[in-house]
Amino acid sequence: MRTIGTSIQRVEDARILTGRGRYVDDVTLPGMLHAAFVRSPHPHARIASLDASAARAMPGVVAVLTGADMQRLSNPMSIQMLPGYKGPTFYPLATDTVRFVGDPVAIVVAESRYLAEDARDTVEVEYEPLTPVVTLEHAQDPSRPHVFEELGTNVVFQDSHTYGDVDAVFARADRVIAHTFRQHRYANVPMETRGAVASYDPGSGELTYYAATQSPHGVRFALSGLLNQPAQLLRVVSNDVGGAFGLKGFVYREDVALAATSKSLGRPVKWIEDRNEHLIASAHAREEDVALEAAITNDGTLLGLRAAMTMNQGAYPLLPFPSALFASITRVMLPGPYRLQAYKFDTTVVATNKAPYVAYRGPWAVETWVRERMLDLIAREVQIDPVEIRRKNMVTAAEQPTPMITGPTLERMSARQTLDRTLELMDYAGFRDAQQRARQAGRYKGLGIATFIEAAPGPRNMSEALGFGLGKERAHVRLEPDGHLTVVTAQMPHGQGHETTLAQVAADEMGVPFEHVKVVYGDTRFTPFSLIGTGGSRAATMASGAVLYGTRKVKDTVLKLAAGMLEASPADLEIDNAMISVKGAPQRALPLGQIAMLVYMAPQHLPPGIEPIVEFDHDFDGDEGGWSQATHAVWVEVDPDTGQVKIDRYLVVEDCGTMINPAIGEGQVRGGVAQGIGGVLYEHAAYDDDGQFLAGTFMDYLLPTTTEVPTIEIDHLETPPISPVNFRGVGEGGAICAPAALTNAIEDALAPLGVKITEQYLPPVRILELIGAIATE
Amino acid sequence: MSPIARVTVELTVNGQPRQALVEPRKTLADTLREDLGLTGTHLGCEHGVCGACTVLVNGEAIRSCLMLAIQARGAEVLTVEGLEQEGQMHPVQAAFRESHSFQCGFCTPGFVMSTVAFLQEAPSPTEADIREALSGNMCRCTGYQSIVEGVQLAAQKLAATAETPTPGMAVARGA
Repeated sequence: MRTIGTSIQRVEDARILTGRGRYVDDVTLPGMLHAAFVRSPHPHARIASLDASAARAMPGVVAVLTGADMQRLSNPMSIQMLPGYKGPTFYPLATDTVRFVGDPVAIVVAESRYLAEDARDTVEVEYEPLTPVVTLEHAQDPSRPHVFEELGTNVVFQDSHTYGDVDAVFARADRVIAHTFRQHRYANVPMETRGAVASYDPGSGELTYYAATQSPHGVRFALSGLLNQPAQLLRVVSNDVGGAFGLKGFVYREDVALAATSKSLGRPVKWIEDRNEHLIASAHAREEDVALEAAITNDGTLLGLRAAMTMNQGAYPLLPFPSALFASITRVMLPGPYRLQAYKFDTTVVATNKAPYVAYRGPWAVETWVRERMLDLIAREVQIDPVEIRRKNMVTAAEQPTPMITGPTLERMSARQTLDRTLELMDYAGFRDAQQRARQAGRYKGLGIATFIEAAPGPRNMSEALGFGLGKERAHVRLEPDGHLTVVTAQMPHGQGHETTLAQVAADEMGVPFEHVKVVYGDTRFTPFSLIGTGGSRAATMASGAVLYGTRKVKDTVLKLAAGMLEASPADLEIDNAMISVKGAPQRALPLGQIAMLVYMAPQHLPPGIEPIVEFDHDFDGDEGGWSQATHAVWVEVDPDTGQVKIDRYLVVEDCGTMINPAIGEGQVRGGVAQGIGGVLYEHAAYDDDGQFLAGTFMDYLLPTTTEVPTIEIDHLETPPISPVNFRGVGEGGAICAPAALTNAIEDALAPLGVKITEQYLPPVRILELIGAIATE
Repeated sequence: MSPIARVTVELTVNGQPRQALVEPRKTLADTLREDLGLTGTHLGCEHGVCGACTVLVNGEAIRSCLMLAIQARGAEVLTVEGLEQEGQMHPVQAAFRESHSFQCGFCTPGFVMSTVAFLQEAPSPTEADIREALSGNMCRCTGYQSIVEGVQLAAQKLAATAETPTPGMAVARGA
């Protein structure tokens, strides 16, 4: 039975619903100690003195290590990934300067977490405050200090790319429309915070690191180099991970400090971050300004774009990818599915006294927001409909294949079909009538539409456009002696259900029941190397493809062996329900398990001349790749008295190719949309202008709940396959597109009040400011 | 500072008499996880907002991060580990599985326990009732729609098996 395309029940749910999930905080080792970090309350200060004598004297306290200890135990941390990036050199704990509220200055290790936290509160640190650098403007203000003195600047990266003759295109435009868009700081907020157990065994010299991570090999690669720990003696293990959304795809200074501490003490040490610590000190995302100019004709035809993005990376960059790398994806993707004659994109990345910038579900998402926002602003300016401006400028199926102005080939890219299908599913004219009637009654209803495309994985020439590639993906597939399959993936699932979807792919390809396949992951002792692990919406195509072709290799060998035994050609055989038979002659059959048993136990009885190897690696390069795309439409009503935005309806029309498991795919879309809604209406990782963090609890950083996230309708389109691997990434799109659709809807609702929206965070108080009901702060 | 004297706490957990020697300041959540080995109860915020640590105490859903173990002395505590009967999932668990309600699974035990308690009070809820009742549990993965559908299915399953009381329901009735 074919399982692909069915919402088969998830393997994972049997354990997570019964309390048998195994998350990092569930790891307990003999002799395990517990760590707590002393953190800076200042955004920018010199450490004048640090006195941990009281802490060290407390019963149950085993050690207090500081920045000076880390200089001894760890190599300096730095990032070399990106040419032209000015990366600082720093240590796992602050040595002489603290650079954001939450900067770790000491690690306290005790017999229990309670004791470690008691002792932490007795560590006395004297600080000499320095002027903080907080905003994008501060970072470029010459009167402010440098976050890293050694760099001599707060501008850590700049580059500029030009496509086509930008000046000529702007010169012949009827109009140039310019707006500066501001995307605020978000927090990823997985429900499980960061955490790890580091366990150094002085007997074997092996360091085992149990991590809540998206990338066990990424963690191993970093820790190995920083701690001079040979890679073969460094094992990273991850079991269940309670969400990440990009945040756990990086290696943190706390990881290095914890591993160094365990190695130094020769004992296991656990650190589980609390929520306050997580919100303040883990990492934040998305803080970017984009100054965008559009050259257009009077009928709303888009000719050219000039974009200048400034990104706030916070203080310390995270290993292994600096945030500046994501700016490359923003640059390449900003034109989206639209025709352009010329395009320029400038990037500036600044360092400030804030928590690190981290990837968050479509880290380049600002491109969709500013483009789709700008299209609506242009439409209003030239007085055409927001739908019309999209239809006028969007690449059609007939025009493909055609390159984006930034290089990647658009082929079988179906953004236009998602837009057209959206229009079919909504009564557009009817809504505009209802909107008019509502306005006459003093009610503000709005409709927002936005379209995006995502290279998930994108065409073969995507890496050329980006200037870097993400590499192949490896899987290992093994036929076991009983005829069942073990699939080893480089993915590190944390909610995406890969134990289910990859098993579906292998089971269907092999012709065995779904229950005969076990997907394993999360242990660097046996998983293939991958610096990314799970991220970048890679699994659907890349991991599935590796599993599919790896399984095909196993199947080819099995069929050759069976052909000899059944006296038939391999091409005439099929495997169904773990039974190998001659097509059309089901009585000529033998069980897959019988062949498997012979391979392992009695290979001398197998037909000669065929190497009886039934486990294979496959490195998948993505084949011809392809695009994911969607159009989102959202209907809102804004209450002008309270500033509340009520979502009346939310519709997503998406095309991610074949859905391996529709319930899982749709869950990814809905979860992403919920995060996009949260980001616009509720969530802000806010700092004041002095660099103090203002959102350190769930009473301040507001997550949307059941009463805020509406029902999200999904309509699924499927472009015909390019390769046998017609599964495309769907994890990030919901979060990428939702802020664009929602801010467009809010502006549409408030159009009679003359509101123009160029910022993304729109809580009730800001809505009231925008409509002039209250004074702007 | 001298070590804090520990106290013995006796309570019933998932139908079994249990005891733990804990500091008086130790939360019920930490006691369940560390002293009683019941790691199904998760800690998502430790300040009573996210609901991941929800368990039933004498039939009522409470946040075990905000309750001390000593406050649960003599109480009947039900955790996610106590719902299965004879290897069969509780109808709420089965409904959530069929509905693909969750993704990463970290918030899941809290939603399961909140739903068990809620459906005892409101066996035939509307969608609005469900959304209101679960608004104190946070999930970052799903957008909640699949969870709401799971609760609706759970209500149907519970109605169909009403004559077979589940452990959660037995506790709630003071049985």
